[in-house]
Amino acid sequence: MATTSDVATSPAGPETAGLPCAVAVDNLHKTFANRKVLDGVTLAVNRGETLAVLGRSGTGKSVLLRVIIGLVQPDVGSVSILGREIAGLNLDKLGDVRKKMGFLFQHAALYDSLTVGENVAFPLVHHRAHMSKAERDDRVIQLLAEVGLENALNKMPSNISGGMQKRVGLARALALDPEILLLDEPTAGLDPISSGEIDELVLKLQSEHQMASIVVTHDLHSAKTIATRLALLDRGQVVIEGTFEELEQSEIALVKQFLMQS
Amino acid sequence: MEVRSSMSRFGATSLLPSAIVFSIVQEMGPTITGLVVSGRVGAGIGAELASMKVTEQIDAMEASAVNPFRLLAATRILACILMLPLLTLGADACGIFMGWIAQTLVEPISLHQFIESGFRGATLSSFLPPTFKTSVFGLIIGLIACFQGMRTRGGAEGVGRAATNSVVLASLFVILADVVLVKLILVIFPS
Repeated sequence: MATTSDVATSPAGPETAGLPCAVAVDNLHKTFANRKVLDGVTLAVNRGETLAVLGRSGTGKSVLLRVIIGLVQPDVGSVSILGREIAGLNLDKLGDVRKKMGFLFQHAALYDSLTVGENVAFPLVHHRAHMSKAERDDRVIQLLAEVGLENALNKMPSNISGGMQKRVGLARALALDPEILLLDEPTAGLDPISSGEIDELVLKLQSEHQMASIVVTHDLHSAKTIATRLALLDRGQVVIEGTFEELEQSEIALVKQFLMQS
Repeated sequence: MEVRSSMSRFGATSLLPSAIVFSIVQEMGPTITGLVVSGRVGAGIGAELASMKVTEQIDAMEASAVNPFRLLAATRILACILMLPLLTLGADACGIFMGWIAQTLVEPISLHQFIESGFRGATLSSFLPPTFKTSVFGLIIGLIACFQGMRTRGGAEGVGRAATNSVVLASLFVILADVVLVKLILVIFPS
């Protein structure tokens, strides 16, 4: 079981041995309007791993994901994606890194003036110019089929449910075959059945694509289902990191309280 | 109609068509078009981009490695720059036509005679600079509306604020720019 002092040295599997961590954040600090949101966060995720970041609302989980994708700049600390430090990169170079990452926003963030199909095709239109329209359409249908929404191709985001929007967002995040997947509260606001479907989908995608995934959630059941490791954030710090069984055995009061209340 | 009563005191009613045409083409047409577009298009752009900002669509675009300024702002600013002169020409035509209607109600005159009289002595430099100054208005409207929209915070309230600020600031800067541009045109193209 890893505590805050040794979280960065996760053991690598045989297929990742010798390769840099897919995502490595070191000593991240971030303050918004005199409120410290991240206070020395250090984490690492390898390929094929899913790290669930848990915590109460307002503990900096979503900010952590935004720092990793480069939407928010940390005050102190470093973020390394596939061995490449992203701090100080210009927009074009940061774009090259982002093309290897997929991000599912908490509310899906679909482009409301585009259809479901156009939303999923958006990254392909801008980054796969060599694809013909037919190839692109086939890829979009394949992605939507993976999330079970091939019949929603021509629907507008406003005409589909929240769970369907999340799935479309996931399909869009997978469009460029990312090596890293970031999921911000994928089951927030969903009923238990839809939440279970999203969890199964994430597991299926993980086993097929072997991505490094970071899932921010306060849903412990979901985290137990999909994560290989869990990290608990509190007041901007990693309190504990490890498997679910290791968390269950922890004597830290906050961890016990979190597991009991969830 | 009001100008007519003033001009008739000096026996200058024959100059009325010219006064109408020149006032519309050189000042009223461009300025009113600029102000109307500030309100209609400026508010629309500001609200649309603000709505995209608060629903994280712009963040999603950035996360997809697409430059939102290039895709959303540059296109809208370019559209405003290109379309304002064309809209101004349309507004000028409507203004001149309504001026003829107003003149005809008091003292009937054919449209042909009205236009011939109105454009007598006009040169290209009378019309082109005032029309193309509206490209600067378009740049101002596009820049302000996109800036207000893309830096919005605060949900629905922020969207409303962005739309309002877009209109108010764009209108103000269009009027200020008009003063500067008229002076510039008079210097470059003296009468």
